[in-house]
Amino acid sequence: MSAPALARTERVETGAEVVPETGGRSDLPPGTPPLVALQGITKTFPGIVANDGVDLDVMPGEIHALLGENGAGKSTLMNVLTGIYRQDAGRIILDGYARDLSSPQAAIAAGIGMVHQHFKLVPAFTVAENVHLGWEETPWRASASVLEARTRALAERFSLKVRPDARVGDLSAGEQQRVEILRVLARAARILILDEPTAVLTPQEAQDLFRALRAFRANGNAVIFISHKLDEVIAIADRISVLRGGRKIATREAAGATERGLAALMVGHEITLRKVRPRRPGLPVSPEPVVAMEGISALDDRGLPALHDISLRLHGGEILGIAGVAGNGQRELSQVVTGMRPITAGVIRIDGRLAKPGDAAGFAGRGIGHIPEDRLRAGLAPSLSITDNAVLREYGGPPVGGFGLFRPWAAGRLARAIAAAAEVAVPSFEMPARNLSGGNQQRLVARRETRIAERVLVAAYPSRGLDVGAIETLLALIARLRDEGKAVLLFSEELSELIELSDRIAVLFNGRIMGTLPTAEADVETLGLMMGGQRQDRSGRAP
Amino acid sequence: MGWRLQRTPSAHRAAALTGRILAILAALACAGIVLAMTGRAPIAMGADFWDTATGSTAGLEDVGLLVTPLILTGIAVALTTRIGLWNIGGEGQFGIGALAAAAVGLHLDGPEPVMLLAMAAAAAVAGALWILVPTIARAYAGVNELITTLLLNFVAALLIAWVATGPWRDRTGGALAATLRVPYEMPPLGEAGHWGLPIAVAVAVVAAAALTFTRFGYETRVAGANPGAAVYAGIPVRARIVAVMLLSGAVAGMAGMIELAGTAHRLQGGISNNYGYLGIMVAVLARGSCLAVLATAALMATLLNAGIILSAQGLNTSAVLAVTGLILFFTAIGDELAHYKLVRRPAPTG
Repeated sequence: MSAPALARTERVETGAEVVPETGGRSDLPPGTPPLVALQGITKTFPGIVANDGVDLDVMPGEIHALLGENGAGKSTLMNVLTGIYRQDAGRIILDGYARDLSSPQAAIAAGIGMVHQHFKLVPAFTVAENVHLGWEETPWRASASVLEARTRALAERFSLKVRPDARVGDLSAGEQQRVEILRVLARAARILILDEPTAVLTPQEAQDLFRALRAFRANGNAVIFISHKLDEVIAIADRISVLRGGRKIATREAAGATERGLAALMVGHEITLRKVRPRRPGLPVSPEPVVAMEGISALDDRGLPALHDISLRLHGGEILGIAGVAGNGQRELSQVVTGMRPITAGVIRIDGRLAKPGDAAGFAGRGIGHIPEDRLRAGLAPSLSITDNAVLREYGGPPVGGFGLFRPWAAGRLARAIAAAAEVAVPSFEMPARNLSGGNQQRLVARRETRIAERVLVAAYPSRGLDVGAIETLLALIARLRDEGKAVLLFSEELSELIELSDRIAVLFNGRIMGTLPTAEADVETLGLMMGGQRQDRSGRAP
Repeated sequence: MGWRLQRTPSAHRAAALTGRILAILAALACAGIVLAMTGRAPIAMGADFWDTATGSTAGLEDVGLLVTPLILTGIAVALTTRIGLWNIGGEGQFGIGALAAAAVGLHLDGPEPVMLLAMAAAAAVAGALWILVPTIARAYAGVNELITTLLLNFVAALLIAWVATGPWRDRTGGALAATLRVPYEMPPLGEAGHWGLPIAVAVAVVAAAALTFTRFGYETRVAGANPGAAVYAGIPVRARIVAVMLLSGAVAGMAGMIELAGTAHRLQGGISNNYGYLGIMVAVLARGSCLAVLATAALMATLLNAGIILSAQGLNTSAVLAVTGLILFFTAIGDELAHYKLVRRPAPTG
């Protein structure tokens, strides 16, 4: 590809530092400039320095992984590269020419395309329509058949399997991701940025994605792969750059990198990667289930069936893990078990007694705590004070409530106790909860919920969006509840987390349980097949 | 080294208050400049107004008559903002409350205290009924209450105009487009005032206390701040919406009764005198706080009174409404600016 029209004439000397660092690709001629060179990118927002002098070189024919904890500055850096943000300082150099990417359009014209974690497709449109949407090469008179033929040709050229006439809303997450990638590649992208691309994929779909990425790389293009999954980063990337606190800490060859070493770079100190928290030998499991669900069906928010005939038994002293690709009924199941969502069929028993579905306060009163999937939408009222948020579960009874009253001073005392137990430093309890960091919000919610979880804790994606330290705290809390003889229902998108903590794992697919396995018999391949819709029942009983 | 503005996630309380005060001064300054451009002497007019309004008991009592309905309509709006909704229909509920009170007062007989209580009860029920349909539509079908409550204002205005000029018209005098004088009156307080003012203040204090110190108040706060969290905690959001909105309608209806029995005495078209709409402004300026409503209602009443006093000098109430509009406008700007603070910019690196 010739130097694009937008390029400035200034040729930037980057060769000297590039030569020794060609990403281990000895096939590149010496002096080949990086496809992308970011130099000294600095971007500040009120109160934080999101990027601080970040240098990053991505060579042609390279898959470059960007690794970092939440808040390390990965997204900001990519938003600068895709023209969404403008850097405060630093240069973007493409193919050796300094470029001014002042808008997303300029970035696309320069051959930079991004596939976001949450797809930006129109569900009601067909694949062909989505690929051609907002594209200047879309023919002026575009009939469905013309668009579909063009899409078919594009799909063939980039060997991405898509069905041009299918409606995007009917596609699986993996298929939608292929449409997104095709959309980007069709616009002549040479740099493909993928943000957490495997979060929504089954292990098999992830393998398909990796094959497509390797084919793209083989043509001299580059991929920037954002992830926090250490194993897959080592598997797919050529080089790995680690960001921490807005700075680039290191760039490493993937060959020879270890998960432990990368984790240490990410966090800044040597950590025990995950403390395994095995069951204490002889830890009893209650003979009778604490929660028994029989034949549960429920609707989602749009009124469409989301759960079909779910039967699960949850015993005291065990952790039951729920695996599945996001959006297969996990949200609805977590809401049914905590009484937030009414059901259309089936019964729920708590300690053998029938529970009234859809009565969240009643479920909480019978000892079911709930760390919700989305703490800002459900677990907290971000605009209210920390005190008001801390007492959300216990305002009804003494000391805060009683006789229809609300005692602000008692609420303040309870909030201070919860914050102290959660080891969250709160400058002012009158401050809105949104001023707390995500990790501290989750610590507060977790502590508040364990106080009321006398029988069960339902934890939906408790480690999502947290840094390693906060995840440690939460997983330790969950293991402790199990050791105290309480039942835990753990939803997670991290199979490793489920395998490590759970005693049994049930897999949800399309609102149905594909089977329940004792963790000892569960391996990633079997779970992957079940997450893709294969039934495997080895009648996992409570240990 | 330089300085720059930085946005903070939440406005500091002192900054927000300063912003409001500056907004009011800026609005008055704008009005003054316009007055000066039309050849009037704004400063002299201001001094004249200040003497008349605060220099005598009568002046203060006039403000008291104006502040009473404003406190109540302000509370009516402030209540709904607590649950994240807006009652734009205070104007209509006010009128319907006055109508219900007039119906009771004109058509039933009894000892005065009993009749006043009956009128108040009728007004509160009528106000609540007037907001009932928007309430049900909001709580169960998600219909935007801004529009439904607003539209019912026009229905209420037409209904009152028809009653006052038609079936209930005062046929003894002949000339008036109003009903007969309602024979029951609020007990007087001072020269020209009546007991409506202490009642309105009491309503504001009780509302503020209820929102702070009761379980109902807490649940309302949570449901208003984040309905998702309310569902999560098992708070019956719909029931709270219904209760708060009906209460809001009842308070606005009560305001209509107090206006009728304390100040107007006859039901006529235009009895609500924009109090319902001004109540929105009172609540916005008070940032939804029931106690702050007392102060902002007093401010608004003072402005209205200025319009009345200065009408001798060729100003009319439209000018005053324009000033209140300016205040709201500058307040919105001030609220936004209160989020910013000046910080020292670090010396650029590299």
